[in-house]
Amino acid sequence: MQGKTGSESWQEVWDKSVNGPRALIDCWQEIPCDPCQEACAQGSIVLSSGICAPPALHAETCNGCGKCVAICPGMAIFLVDRSIGSGLARVTVPYEMRDEIRLGGEAWAVDGEGNYLAEGRITRVSGAGRPGRTMLLTIEVPEEWALKVRGVRGRRKLLEEPEEVEAIEAVEDFAFCRCEEIDYSRLREIITQGEFRSLPALRRFSRAGLGYCQGRFCQSILRSQFLADCPEEDREVESFRVRAPVRPVKLSRLGGEDG
Amino acid sequence: MDDVLSSEVVIIGGGVIGAAAAYFLCKEGAEVMIVEAEDLTAGASGACDGFLSLQTKQIGSHLDLTLESMALLPGIIEDLDIDPEYNPCGGLMLATNQDQLKELKARAKKVKAAGLEIEILGTQELKEMLPEVSKEIKGAAYCPSDAQINPIAFTLGMAQKAQGMGAKIIKGCKVENIVVTNNRVREVHTTAGSIHSRRVICAAGTGSNEIGKMIIVDIPVMPQKGQILVTEARERMLDRIVSGAEYLGTKANLDELLPKDEDAIRLGLGFTAEQTVSGNILIGSTREFAGFDKETTPEAMNAIAKNAINYLPWIKNLDVIRSFAGLRPYSPDGLPIMGPVKGVKGFYMATGHSGDGICLAAITGKLMSELVLDGETSIDISPFSLYRFK
Repeated sequence: MQGKTGSESWQEVWDKSVNGPRALIDCWQEIPCDPCQEACAQGSIVLSSGICAPPALHAETCNGCGKCVAICPGMAIFLVDRSIGSGLARVTVPYEMRDEIRLGGEAWAVDGEGNYLAEGRITRVSGAGRPGRTMLLTIEVPEEWALKVRGVRGRRKLLEEPEEVEAIEAVEDFAFCRCEEIDYSRLREIITQGEFRSLPALRRFSRAGLGYCQGRFCQSILRSQFLADCPEEDREVESFRVRAPVRPVKLSRLGGEDG
Repeated sequence: MDDVLSSEVVIIGGGVIGAAAAYFLCKEGAEVMIVEAEDLTAGASGACDGFLSLQTKQIGSHLDLTLESMALLPGIIEDLDIDPEYNPCGGLMLATNQDQLKELKARAKKVKAAGLEIEILGTQELKEMLPEVSKEIKGAAYCPSDAQINPIAFTLGMAQKAQGMGAKIIKGCKVENIVVTNNRVREVHTTAGSIHSRRVICAAGTGSNEIGKMIIVDIPVMPQKGQILVTEARERMLDRIVSGAEYLGTKANLDELLPKDEDAIRLGLGFTAEQTVSGNILIGSTREFAGFDKETTPEAMNAIAKNAINYLPWIKNLDVIRSFAGLRPYSPDGLPIMGPVKGVKGFYMATGHSGDGICLAAITGKLMSELVLDGETSIDISPFSLYRFK
């Protein structure tokens, strides 16, 4: 989805990326959120009309450090680097899964909807050793895809039937939603009672994913468990509504006072 | 689905009103089926705060109905298997200036005469009750009967109880048509098949207008959006439900208490705050007409946050983790629309509760049970007739 950050700034990113990595911002949500601006030591990211404005990038001063990519809670910032030439580009994306993707391996670049774009080699993995932190993956793809890549998938994952969702076979119980202290056994109990046919309803009643982290940790378990346990004919796979402010923000900042 | 379903009573809508109606009907031994287009509490009942605010009701039939409803509540809660987190905590309505306080005083007199206990507090008394209130607050109206509840748990509790008594709940089932022959409801066509029924209750909230079209009756309910901010969960910080006098002005359309600021009027801004059992503070709210749009807007979030700091300065240090918007089933005069429809026997309305559905659910459920099974109600419901608008 092309954002309000505008095609002009993307053109600039495209042009400058022959000199090295530049941030590509695909943020179109007018929500109070500014970690990217805070993270940028170069002062290249500016929210021109307040905290709710989508950020704009000065490609001239951007040094491609990638801090904004790692910090963006919406995973809406990427790096594009065309300096390697020969019709190839390296695209860096945020990545929060822990699976078989590794340096030097082949993976698939996908767009914002998860559609396959191109196959490429992973040329850089950073942040893998720090649990809880967003990893950055860099994938090398033909440069015509450089502005379209939004994610990376392991090849094996894509080859699997998308309907096949593996549930966790719990041996021991654990608090899967740590914010609201909801046990995994409790979640399964709620799902298998069959009261809820959509994820938003499950979340509403179980309160899983409604705590401080707003589901950043538990959402994927919630989803896969729901798909695994809730009979297909009864369910509606409607995704969660992501609501501002996405990441906790002091009320005083939301109210426009300095915090 | 080719199954031919049938039920003595069909309730359209799985919100708090539908659940309450099912609960009371099942108590009387009726055969009940709830058809819900999405999930229980998918509409206004699942996207609101837990205010049970008596002092914001319109004086007259509206307040009388509320008092009846609140009297039923403890009995229902006792009966439920799910704890609806009911808390008879009392409610404070804060005045930011002397004019507002004067209005609150004048209104308190009338409210008292109507049978609701209410007390006007000066700054000193208020401070004792709400120590960290802003110094700018000139006083408050305190209503000891105001309370709070978890609307989602309350709805689910009543629905489950009804289910235990034999009610069927069909979710993801959209009503497509209602068959009327010889001036009587016969059948409800749904995406899950046809249901034979001679009695249908419309508890469809904001969807009521669409349902009305199926029987060629104009039910004047429209969605009125309310936005709310949710803070991080904290230790107990707020013992009562708290609102601003402008909230009452906006809600009950009282000119004297409307906000002065133009943007605030346009947003229908009024301050409310309550701390839920889970510890989150819900800060509200707006009253806007934006069709069926359920998005939260930066403008409203900013206005709600700014406004809240004026009343409770300490609130600015809390983290906001989420926002949400719900659509109230707004009726033109803010009063619910209840009762039969001329020319369509067996069709009953229980809708248009505006921002008072949670508060009025208990009595609405009871009245629907009486109306459907006995043909008459223990309380006069003519003030809530559809035909008051004509």
